[in-house]
Amino acid sequence: MRRLKVFKSLLIDSLDVITHGSRKYHLWMGFLTFVMLVGMYCYSIQLDQGLSVTGMTDRVSWGLYISNFTFLVGVAAAAVMLVMPTYVLKDIDFKQAVLIGEGLAVAALIMCLAFVVADMGGPSVLWHMIPGIGVFNFPNSMLTWDVIVLNGYLFLNISIPYYILFRHYQGKDANPKIYVPGALISVFWAVSIHLVTAFLYQGLQARPFWNNALLGPRFLASAFAAGPALIILVLAIIRNYTAFKVENKTIGKLAMIVTVAAQINLIMLVSELFKEFYAPTHHSESAYYLFFGLHGKNALLPWIWTSIPLNVLATVLLTFGKFRNNFKVLYFCCFILFVAIWIEKGFGLIVPGFIPGPYGKIAEYTPTGVEIGVTMGIWALGAFVFTILAKTAIKIETGKLRYKKKDSQ
Amino acid sequence: MSENNTKWFSLNLSNSKPKQQASTCGCGNTSGGCGGHQNEIRSSAIGDERHKDGFEQVFDVQMDRRTAFKKLTASLLIGAGAVTTSCSVVADEKSKEKAQIDWEEQFKGNYKLMSDEEKKATVDRLVRSYELRTNKTISMTSENAQENVLFGYAFNISKCQGYMDCVSACVEENNQDRNSEMQYIRIHEMKDGQGLKFDEADDNYYHEVPAEGHFYLGTQCFHCDNPPCVDVCPVQATWREEDGLVVIDYDWCVGCRYCMAACPYDGRRFNWSKPEVPEDEVNKNQHYLGNRMRKKGVMEKCTFCVQRSRKGQNPACVDACPTGARIFGNLLDPNSTIRWVLENKKVFRLKEDLGTEPKFWYFMD
Amino acid sequence: MNNNCYTYSIGCLIMALFLSFSCKHKESKYHSLTDKIEEESKDFIGTDISLETLLEEMKLLEIHEEGHAFLIPERKGQLKSYACSECHTKPLASMTSLEIGKKAHWNVKLAHADNLTMNCITCHSESNLDELTSLTGSEIDFDASYKLCSQCHTAQFKDWTGGAHGKKIAGWAPPRASMTCVNCHNPHSPSFDTRWPSRFNTQMEKERKEGLSH
Ligand code: SF4
Ligand code: SF4
Repeated sequence: MRRLKVFKSLLIDSLDVITHGSRKYHLWMGFLTFVMLVGMYCYSIQLDQGLSVTGMTDRVSWGLYISNFTFLVGVAAAAVMLVMPTYVLKDIDFKQAVLIGEGLAVAALIMCLAFVVADMGGPSVLWHMIPGIGVFNFPNSMLTWDVIVLNGYLFLNISIPYYILFRHYQGKDANPKIYVPGALISVFWAVSIHLVTAFLYQGLQARPFWNNALLGPRFLASAFAAGPALIILVLAIIRNYTAFKVENKTIGKLAMIVTVAAQINLIMLVSELFKEFYAPTHHSESAYYLFFGLHGKNALLPWIWTSIPLNVLATVLLTFGKFRNNFKVLYFCCFILFVAIWIEKGFGLIVPGFIPGPYGKIAEYTPTGVEIGVTMGIWALGAFVFTILAKTAIKIETGKLRYKKKDSQ
Repeated sequence: MSENNTKWFSLNLSNSKPKQQASTCGCGNTSGGCGGHQNEIRSSAIGDERHKDGFEQVFDVQMDRRTAFKKLTASLLIGAGAVTTSCSVVADEKSKEKAQIDWEEQFKGNYKLMSDEEKKATVDRLVRSYELRTNKTISMTSENAQENVLFGYAFNISKCQGYMDCVSACVEENNQDRNSEMQYIRIHEMKDGQGLKFDEADDNYYHEVPAEGHFYLGTQCFHCDNPPCVDVCPVQATWREEDGLVVIDYDWCVGCRYCMAACPYDGRRFNWSKPEVPEDEVNKNQHYLGNRMRKKGVMEKCTFCVQRSRKGQNPACVDACPTGARIFGNLLDPNSTIRWVLENKKVFRLKEDLGTEPKFWYFMD
Repeated sequence: MNNNCYTYSIGCLIMALFLSFSCKHKESKYHSLTDKIEEESKDFIGTDISLETLLEEMKLLEIHEEGHAFLIPERKGQLKSYACSECHTKPLASMTSLEIGKKAHWNVKLAHADNLTMNCITCHSESNLDELTSLTGSEIDFDASYKLCSQCHTAQFKDWTGGAHGKKIAGWAPPRASMTCVNCHNPHSPSFDTRWPSRFNTQMEKERKEGLSH
């Protein structure tokens, strides 16, 4: 009963927190709301007319939505980079960042699910996928695995921080006996969400571009580069705009993780390129299309040739400690790395899988305005959710939000 | 209840505008004119002629931008509609029945798991629903796979002349969307002397055929015996029947298109928008798993014309081919012609290395 | 240390679960589809599906060739003015004059092999026009015209009897009824013409749209 009361008060308090803030904060939230509304309008067009308003066709049947979904699974998985040292290895440096990381994971997962729903042809019959009520093709379909792991991960990433914050809100310490097992599971879980998502593509013998054993590991490496890079950027913003303290050391350690992951990712990229271009087979055509264009069709060239140099540049810069420890350079590197991997793991991975098609037909894909609108709407939704979560968490962590305090007033 | 006396007029009533439509429906044209008439009036603001799509033909859902948001909770809405209708005093029997059917259809289970009675019930509902909307009767069946049957197909590359009669027959037989020009079959025009170069083949030619120095090869869903498309479907909306046909329950499919990515043979087609078939061209001889009306956002594909083949007939493409390049039959019957082809001609299949075991062979004279 | 053990055991557990579930390989007795077909058709007892009702209306003849027994459509009833002898009362030789005026078979052009190989009387009997004639001069019934074709086209004949050449009537289910040579090929000009492909869903749709906009 008491718990319920505390929970109610937490809800009310956090509602209070998120509706109050500086002008900049209101502007930011207003902007996000506007983008979300635009996205919803675009989505309503899509619902009305069907997926034909997107750039997708029978020949390229997945596009922007699934690209973003794939990338964001990686971002969500990266929260583990903070969880592992903090909860398991008791590395104190990360303690401050971990809640932010988990908030980011929650936001990313919500975006993932939104992208999947946006991609569905029949959202009104989505209940067919609910185990028990519908028919769940487990374990045959990797998509059902993905649904399980994503929702499980979402649950973990909501419940652990919620428990900790809930305790802190009451001015108590969180009991490690309760949250450490959860944290441990989430470590494995994070690896599995990304691996399972890779298997989604890797298991299709129809698409040689995806059907390669390196896809899973490369997913992990790039995720552990892009995710923490985003966390660094977010921490930098939070450090600047709130009272929340983030140690330089924390950011330094995160930078280290980004660097190693980016290096591994680059090695794997080289290995992949070597295989595709040293002894090109019929199956290398997708890679040719991606990097050089095929038969005059080259819509992806500008994208991939933005991504590769950015990726290399960021990795090289990060490799040198001198640059890495200069925060200005670090932020810049993180940003370009994030963009590079977004292109490479999104567009650069999904679209060439369909080109050339099963019979060598090349039909290009360009997203339409509606599609881009929905995508931006979902990103805004993610940012919105994250802002709310982070604001509440920061208020609690900095001690500004307390149950007892309010009681005594 | 007075409306009920003139039964003919009340047929196309929707709940919201009973009067207006009752009057427009009196055109007396029985050959599809009535449906078209009604459409014109409804969408006269847009001005262009709209054909009813598959979903509308079954459910008659009208939608504009404003109501599109409602689609998000379509199931709930239909449910709510059913409740209001059943509570409403003015609602006549027919619209009540319609709402009842919509309700049951929205929440029915997966066809694959239905008992024979349930299958029959849903087929009856769909037929009745069509009758209520359009005043026309269709015949829809739900025959199950027969024992000792395994369907197989053979295609004679030396015979095919590229006439594409099969493509047309397939479109007509299977009520495929006319707007997006969907076609299950693709005929690839290849150059002589280059082998099977699919990437250089043209599957959209329009010139006199057979063209000098070319040969023709048709592809469609191959009804793999080990179909990758079936494994990946998250909701088991597509499966392999006992007689080897790989089919889709259009009402169960959620439209994720995973199966499309998994098919190595370009066998699947997606309804990116509302499929439209002119009323007078609808093939009314239907099977639940075959050529019945589809809605937007669902997958479909060749079913070897399940509505025909389970009755012993050939698929429409086989019958339409003027050159006899297409051979269809029961692989388990040692005396069948398809077995003779497999045993006596040099047959091959596409991408055999993938282990999908397509039941579609190619051969040459 | 304790923590590490914990981590490990959970990891192993998840891996084990994963592996036990992830094997989607189906239990299959057969190595390949052909094995399976062969095995399952060993004691084939037939199906309940039959074309008999569909074929009822048609006039079909049963033939036995190359170890296959099947039905073919009867031919004589399809010919417009069979029997030929109703007009051809005189032998051909006495009908060569142009006196009669309009010729009866003016539209028949022979485009079948060349003049050295074939002319009318390669197939039509000079003396009895109600019958066809084999290369050696024996009579062949119009209903069995395939026997005429099979004299040269032996490979096609074999494929036809087996079922690889030609079309079946009505469907796949037994009884087997196949079209005979002349149902698809014009015996006087047997090869297929070039023509435009039929494009129902592309060309027709375009035409319909254009028609509507006018
Ligand atoms: S051809 Fe494609 S759609 Fe047809 S059964 Fe095989 S994998 Fe499935
Ligand atoms: S599109 Fe439909 S049939 Fe295909 S995998 Fe998704 S739910 Fe299954």
